[in-house]
Amino acid sequence: MRRTTLRSNRARMSARVGKAVVLTNSMLALAVTAAGAVAALAAFVAYKRASLCALREHSEALARMSGAHDESKAHDLALLAAEQMRASELSAETQRLSDALAREADALAQARAALAEAQARHDDLLAHAARIASEAARLKQLAATFERWHEQMISLMAQNQDMHRKNHELARIVNHVLMVSLNASIEAARAGAAGRGFSIVAGEVRALATRSQELSKSYRDSLDRNDLVTTATFQDIQAGGKMITAALGSVESLAQQFQSKLERNST
Amino acid sequence: MISQAAKESFERIVFQAARTRLTMNPAHACEVERAAGHEPVGRGTSAQVHVLTIVSIGFRIVLMLQFADDEATRSYYAGQTANRALPEAALEIGNLCCGAINQQLVEHFPDLGMSTPYTLSSDCMGYLDELDPVHLAAYDVTIEAAARLRVTLCVCASEPIDFAAQVADVHESAGELELF
Repeated sequence: MRRTTLRSNRARMSARVGKAVVLTNSMLALAVTAAGAVAALAAFVAYKRASLCALREHSEALARMSGAHDESKAHDLALLAAEQMRASELSAETQRLSDALAREADALAQARAALAEAQARHDDLLAHAARIASEAARLKQLAATFERWHEQMISLMAQNQDMHRKNHELARIVNHVLMVSLNASIEAARAGAAGRGFSIVAGEVRALATRSQELSKSYRDSLDRNDLVTTATFQDIQAGGKMITAALGSVESLAQQFQSKLERNST
Repeated sequence: MISQAAKESFERIVFQAARTRLTMNPAHACEVERAAGHEPVGRGTSAQVHVLTIVSIGFRIVLMLQFADDEATRSYYAGQTANRALPEAALEIGNLCCGAINQQLVEHFPDLGMSTPYTLSSDCMGYLDELDPVHLAAYDVTIEAAARLRVTLCVCASEPIDFAAQVADVHESAGELELF
């Protein structure tokens, strides 16, 4: 640009030099000098203007570039801050997740321990239920004991019946003796003085027969009392045995149901 | 030892059992009255008494049935059951009656057991006090204005008895025949 300007100035100066030849040589030199100076000044001014313009453009460009740079830098800083914040958040989240994982692992370990304990308790209960069912089944064999008592009580009652029969026979004999002694007393009275001794004997026999009769009646009463008490006791034992057997059967059934429920739950 | 409510409950249960089990047909008229004494029923007194026992943990009930030894009673019970002898029919009837009482009581006392029947001389009835009862009651039962018997209830307890039974209809299948 500057070269273009210089060429045009030289051209103009050449023209002016031509004109100065026409005028005067002195003036020519001065004019040439002045023209040169003016031209130089003009060139300088032009140069300065161009420089200023370029400088201004450069400054403006620089300012724009600086602004853009600042803007970019600010943007980058903002991005960096956001990224840092994001990283911080991620770090916190990671820490939180790590803590949560640790807690879950701890809870899982506790749950495993509790499960193992529950399983052990379950197995223990199952074993106990089986034992209760087994014991109840075994105790139901007490029915054989009750049956033995039953047989013994039947034997006892049979003996009571036998004693009743014997006492009844004794009572009949005593009654007969009483009748005989009464007849003997009558016959002794008929015999008069000769039968006085026999009358005393007959009286003694009658007295003994009367005492025997009273004793037999008392014995019969005792047997009746004994029959009632023995029968009531026997039936108490027999019915009690049935009650106990039924209760044990109920316990056995409940234990088996409990055992089945536990086995179903474990599968 | 035994509350009035329990005595009344026993009485209701016995009345119900008598009406449903001592009759050969549920449609037969059955009158039950409380008796004053414990002697056998009159007009052909019975020489035998049929004894059954119901036991619980805290008490036992001795139930005694004396069937009148007369023609009307014999023909009612023995005549209607394939000409069986009265004692044989009496054992079965007594067992059914006791089973009905047991069925009513089990609603209030879950642990109960019932004995088989046994036959004794009626002379034994004079010694019921030997059992040390807390409640003793006798009922005269007349069926179809002909057959007669006496039911004696003897309750012996080692624990206080207090319950109130609301008597309902007894199921037909109640009671089992158990003989020696």
